[in-house]
Amino acid sequence: MAEERPAKWGLVVDLDRCTGCNACIAACSMENNVPFVGEDEVAYGRALYWIRTQRYWEGEYPAVTPTFQPVMCQQCGNAPCEPVCPVYASVHSEEEQINLAVYNRCVGTRYCANNCPYFARVFNWFDYELPEPMRSYLNPDVTVRRRGVMEKCTFCVQRIVRGRQKARAEGRELRDGEIQPACVQACPAEALVFGDLSDPESRVSQLARSQRRYHLLEELGTLPRVTYLKGVGNHGG
Amino acid sequence: MQVKKPWWQSGGVRIALALVLLILFGGAVSGIYLSQIPPEQPIAFPHKTHVALGAQCTYCHPAAAWGPNAGLPGISKCWGCHQQVQKKSPELEKLAGYVQRNEPIPWVPVAIQPDFVKFNHQPHVQAGIACETCHGPVSQMTVALPQPRQNMGWCLDCHQRMRPNDFVRLSDCATCHY
Ligand code: HEC
Ligand code: HEC
Ligand code: HEC
Ligand code: HEC
Ligand code: HEC
Repeated sequence: MAEERPAKWGLVVDLDRCTGCNACIAACSMENNVPFVGEDEVAYGRALYWIRTQRYWEGEYPAVTPTFQPVMCQQCGNAPCEPVCPVYASVHSEEEQINLAVYNRCVGTRYCANNCPYFARVFNWFDYELPEPMRSYLNPDVTVRRRGVMEKCTFCVQRIVRGRQKARAEGRELRDGEIQPACVQACPAEALVFGDLSDPESRVSQLARSQRRYHLLEELGTLPRVTYLKGVGNHGG
Repeated sequence: MQVKKPWWQSGGVRIALALVLLILFGGAVSGIYLSQIPPEQPIAFPHKTHVALGAQCTYCHPAAAWGPNAGLPGISKCWGCHQQVQKKSPELEKLAGYVQRNEPIPWVPVAIQPDFVKFNHQPHVQAGIACETCHGPVSQMTVALPQPRQNMGWCLDCHQRMRPNDFVRLSDCATCHY
């Protein structure tokens, strides 16, 4: 059996490449059974998305250009959401080095979301029923959340666990790029790169050492696992 | 003037009575919880007969060796033998009916965990754990019986016992809940 090395999963978002197409959001919602809440609920501020694209305008009208920044859970190494949960539903995974939302443990106090500086956590305000044929689209690998449960980006932990179990079954180590969350898989511009940060040779580690790197709200000391590469306007944008 | 209360209205008797009722009720609830009432199946499939014939578990539940779900056999697998088996019985008439209509048999799940638990057979089978460790003496069962008390503590106890060095991975919430 291959020697085990605990992974430290990380994501790099290259803002030079992001075109703001929102394919990551669609892929994420389909993969993770994120319900579509409808326009009215969104207007009440009850939108359910695990990724959002923040759009900024640069320049003065008419010479304005948009820039986009996809924001998902930053999987902080020092996460503000974790110590505030009264029932330990928001826990740190020692194995995968990410933050978990254990849905069946959650009682819906929403402390975690209120303490999240990235607004990455969303709440199921209602049970969102799916019309009949749509139920067949649900991903059986992901729990369908109930009303009153907090949820967020998990780095598609179902894919991480499956990939790890598959590699163990075949008695080999995981290959770089073998595990891809849905958003990374869907990104047409390859703006998102996922991999193991503990391996200095992996593609994600190499990109995370780029000079353009920065973390969101770095000054808070949350040690995010998501690294952004500043857009410098070389590739459009 | 103090009216003497009848004996059944005195506090002590009432508390004692409430306690007795509570114990009886608790016993009934745990009895129901621990009993192995098998659900009604479309065909009373006898594991005993088939395992005694020498059919391996993995002949009918092959995916246990490589996937998360063990899987149930389809009608073509039953019919592969029962086309030849001469015996006639009401249960086998039902089987012939499904085969004629080319319908899958709507088996009722027996060994089932809640939706939020992600079990995977493959690592367990690969670790050499016998099916009977978790599913009870299936080779003696006339119908598949549910096993009581297969809760989170049961999973974690075994993980700690069998893989103490890997317990960080095997007790991580993300291993079983996502
Ligand atoms: C390995 C060949 C084989 C396979 C596969 C097989 N059977 Fe059988 N089955 C037998 C034999 C042999 C008997 C015993 C007949 C006897 O008692 O003489 C039997 C007995 C039975 C009986 C009991 C009949 C009675 O009333 O005593 C039922 C019900 C039955 N099978 C259903 C099924 C179903 C449903 C499947 C598919 C999941 C299936 N069998 C698959 C060989 C097989
Ligand atoms: C001839 C095919 C056959 C063989 C051999 C066989 N099974 Fe089954 N098994 C079935 C069928 C058909 C069902 C569904 C009917 C039922 O649940 O009673 C089933 C159901 C089960 C279930 C309950 C699954 C559920 O629906 O939740 C378990 C557990 C199980 N089998 C374990 C075993 C084990 C362990 C062995 C080996 C000792 C074994 N089986 C051998 C055909 C077979
Ligand atoms: C470590 C304990 C364990 C072992 C060993 C085990 N099972 Fe299971 N099995 C389970 C659990 C738990 C479930 C319920 C899974 C669920 O609901 O997601 C299950 C479900 C099943 C089912 C019904 C649902 C399905 O997965 O299709 C069958 C059939 C089954 N097991 C057969 C087997 C056979 C055959 C073996 C031996 C090769 C085996 N099991 C070994 C724990 C075990
Ligand atoms: C009889 C002992 C036993 C029981 C009971 C048991 N397990 Fe396991 N399980 C093991 C062993 C041993 C391994 C480690 C296999 C390995 O190291 O590859 C394992 C591994 C696993 C894995 C794979 C871990 C990984 O690498 O991702 C999962 C998932 C799992 N068990 C879930 C469960 C669940 C859920 C239950 C309860 C429904 C359960 N197990 C009950 C013995 C058991
Ligand atoms: C080895 C697998 C395994 C691991 C690891 C595990 N659980 Fe569980 N958990 C289960 C199983 C199986 C059940 C279902 C128990 C039942 O059906 O009674 C469960 C049930 C629960 C429930 C009860 C939910 C309900 O509605 O009844 C909670 C809460 C829970 N788990 C939280 C956690 C937390 C928090 C962690 C991490 C610290 C964790 N679990 C780790 C297997 C696991």
